[in-house]
Formats: sequence, structure tokens, C-alpha cells
Amino acid sequence: MDVVVEAVTQIWGEESTQVKALDQFSHCFRSGRFSCLLGPSGCGKSTLIQIVGGLEPATEGRVRVQDPQKAYSHRPLGADSVMVWQNLNLFPWRNVIDNIAFGLEMRGLSRAERYRRANALIASVGLRGFERHLPGQLSGGMRQRVALARALIMERPILLMDEPFAALDAQTKIVMQEELLKIFDQTHKTVLFVTHAIEEAILLGDEVVVMTARPGRIKEVIPVDLPRPRSLEIVSSKEFGALFDRTFHLIREEVTAAMAQQAAMVAAQS
Amino acid sequence: MNRSARRRAKLLDKVLPWLSVIIFLLAWELLVRWRGIAPIFLPAPSSVAIFLWRMLADGTMEYHLGVTLLRIFAGFLIAAVTGIALGVLMGMSRIVSHVADIWIAALYPLPKISLIPLLIIWLGTGEAYRIVISAVTAFFPIVISTYSGIRQADRGLIKAAEDLGANTRQIQFKVVIPAAMPSILSGLQLGMGVTIILIVAAEMIGGSSQSGMGYLLISSGQVMETERVFASLVVLAVMGAAIMKLQQRADRIIAPWVAHDNR
Repeated sequence: MDVVVEAVTQIWGEESTQVKALDQFSHCFRSGRFSCLLGPSGCGKSTLIQIVGGLEPATEGRVRVQDPQKAYSHRPLGADSVMVWQNLNLFPWRNVIDNIAFGLEMRGLSRAERYRRANALIASVGLRGFERHLPGQLSGGMRQRVALARALIMERPILLMDEPFAALDAQTKIVMQEELLKIFDQTHKTVLFVTHAIEEAILLGDEVVVMTARPGRIKEVIPVDLPRPRSLEIVSSKEFGALFDRTFHLIREEVTAAMAQQAAMVAAQS
Repeated sequence: MNRSARRRAKLLDKVLPWLSVIIFLLAWELLVRWRGIAPIFLPAPSSVAIFLWRMLADGTMEYHLGVTLLRIFAGFLIAAVTGIALGVLMGMSRIVSHVADIWIAALYPLPKISLIPLLIIWLGTGEAYRIVISAVTAFFPIVISTYSGIRQADRGLIKAAEDLGANTRQIQFKVVIPAAMPSILSGLQLGMGVTIILIVAAEMIGGSSQSGMGYLLISSGQVMETERVFASLVVLAVMGAAIMKLQQRADRIIAPWVAHDNR
């Protein structure tokens, strides 16, 4: 499924306190590719994937999700995508298996069928033995796996990920990144992955969409032609270093601009 | 601190509260004996214990306690069912919440005890009056906690459920109500507290049935049987503590995720 974003502008707030989060954002996220959205905080990257997921209406512009083989698609936005949230949003009263099977339960599948499918995913993300645990009893990395499995069980072609690994410690993050790479190689979903870590964006992505400070626009799209399947060793390669430097210089200007904006906002409030 | 010192500190933590109770009772006993205070004014703990034992042995205490407990649970049950039902309805419907808001705003600050004369006129001084006054009082904290729990349900969880294909009805029943559960349970705890107060108070005021802990207290007080007053107070305190403990245990069974809720 291609995700075609056409001139999306997003404005938050009432008239007097309007904030423009996105400004005329246009990009085609190609089917089966892993795209990373990279930018300073507040640049509207999370807003963009929520719009793509049909969870927020865009103020202006539109998003189309379409099969590249077919000319038109009439499916509602959000029907082909599923989100992995920054703060996970696991249901704290549901145990691991019932969190993962939530979407199937909403579809009205029988318990036996739900558990059969959930158990297959539980095995593949390494949560066996924790089926009956509540999210509050799990470590950060394990909760992350539950969130990922809960999204994957929907079997939707587009995976939206909003800084999913931001809260993890460094070691757990590495493990989760490698697992995500493995899952991507097996399933070939279309992935939109929001991050503010340059290294993560290059390690995971087929392309890195660098965004400007607010209002978010595309500053540059950097193709990442590193071979797949990838693993963490790639980080020490010369090509990776070159991509990192290039991205770093782009992003530094924008982070500086974003910081100046925030300083101005604080000054205006006091 | 080394290990034995830490163990000693832990032991002290456990022993000290009980020690303070024993010292207090001992001082009370000695004061009454030395100064020869009349039991009608302040009985010694030992004679309160003897009276308590006698009242337990002949069954009066069990009878009054049992009656009071029955009334408490009847009032609490009515308040819980109606309070949760209205709170949930308010959370789901704008119209219901707008209409109910004005009534709650008007009636909640009213001290419910002030309704006693009216209720006695309407219902007499029988069982109905006592249960209604306690249910009305407990109803408000329960309905308010339920409603606020439902309104404050985590937006993120609702959006996540929506993303996973839940429809409006499913979101209400599978996300919003479970998310409000901690708040509902704390409303029930508040409700139980006021139910106990109101039942005992109603038993003291205009009770025609001549039963219950409130009646026992007031009737013993009127004939200056101070030992019986103290014995009843001890039983009431133990009853209150036991009900609270039971409720906390029930909460942990109903909502086990609250204890370690750190998504």
C-alpha cells in the first residue's frame, strides 16, 4: 500500500492561540518500504502519522492509501494501518494475551481463534510464559513487545510507529531494533517510523525524511541504500558514517531553529 | 546499618505501635484506680472488658451488631447500584450529565442528616427510613467518583482502541468503564464510610425498632451505663476497621492492575 500525502497542513488550537504543526507536507511513502520521519521535537511528525492513521483529521490537504496496482481506493483512512504508540497505550487491566488479542475481540472472533493467533505471535516476539501477566508486571522491553504484537495481529499492510523505542534503555533498544528489522524483512509491510534519533533512522529506514522545525515541512529526503537484511554491525560501516554526517548537518540547523522557537515562546509567556 | 541492627529496627517498627496501645490502657487503668474515678464517669479498661465479655456471652452484642451490619449492607448496596448506574449514564450521555449536574450541585452540599425529620415524616422511624438516609448519603460520593472516573478515562487508550477497530459501544464497555474502575472503587470506599456513619446515627435518632449499635449506645448512655457505652464503641471501631480491610481486599481482587499500574 502506498501512502500518498498531499499538501497536508495541520493547525492546532483556537484562533488566537493557533499553532501550525504541519505546512503543506507532501510525500509518497512507497509500498513495502521503511520510511523514517526525523525532525526536532514539535515538528509535527507524530501529528503526521496520526493523520495517516485516520486518528486526526487534517486541517487541509489529504492522505490517500492505495494499492499501487489499482488506480483508486475507497477504503476509509485507518482501515489499512495500525499504530504503535510512543507511550504504548496498553490496557493496564488486560493481561498480555488479552491485550494482544484486543483487535480480534473487537472483530467478534471466538476466544479459541483469538488465542490461537495471539499465541503464535507471543511465541514469535518472545513472550511465552508471560501470557497471563499484566502490563504493569512487565519490563519496558516486554511491554514494547506486547504493543508490537497487538499491532501485528491486525495484519494490516501499513505499520505506523511513533517513537516506539524512545523510552527504552540503550541495550533493550538495540534488541528491539534488531527484532523490528527481522519482522520487516519477513512481512514487508509499509512502515512509517517517527524518531528523533539519527542513528535509529538510518539503521532501520529505506529513506529518512528530514523535517524542518515547526511548522513541519520536508527539508530533504535521504535515500538509505544500505543492503538488507541489516544488523547492528552496519553502524560501523563507512556508508553509514557518511549518511550519518549528512543527516546530522541537516538536522542540526533545524534543532537550533526549534530551540530558538521554544525560547521565544517561553519569553512571550513571561 | 548492619543486618542485626536493621532487624532490630524492623522489630521495633512492629512492636512500638502495640506497645503504645498497651501503655495507654495501662495508664488509663492506673489513673482510674489511683484517683478512684467513678465508673459512671470513666470506667477502667478492665471493667469495660468484663462488660464486653458479658454482652458477647449473652448475645446482646452479636444481635445489635448483626442488625447494624445488615442495615449497612442494604444501604450501601442500594447506593452502589444506583450511584454507579447514574455515573456511567452521565459519562455516556451529554444530556443526562447536564440534567444530573444541576441536581448534584444542589443536593451534594446539603448535610444529609438534615433530611432526617423529613424522612421520618414520610417513612416513619422503621427500617426504610434508616436505609434510605444512608443510601442517599452514600449515593453522592459514588456517583461523583464514577462520573469523574469515566470522564477522565485516558484519551490515549480510547484512541488506541479506536485504531484497533473498536466501535463506540465497545470503547465504552471495554475501555472507558474498566479505565474508570479505580475511581469507582474509591467512590465505593467513601460511600461505605458515610453509610456506616449514617446508619449508626439513624439508629440513635428516632429509632423505633430498638436495635442496632446506635440504639445500644444511646440507650446505655441514657441510663449511665458507661461501661456498656465503651464496650459498644470498641465493637464499632473493630467493625469499621474490619469492613475497610475487607473492602481493600475486594478491591485488589476486582482491580489487581491498580497496585502496579505504571504503563
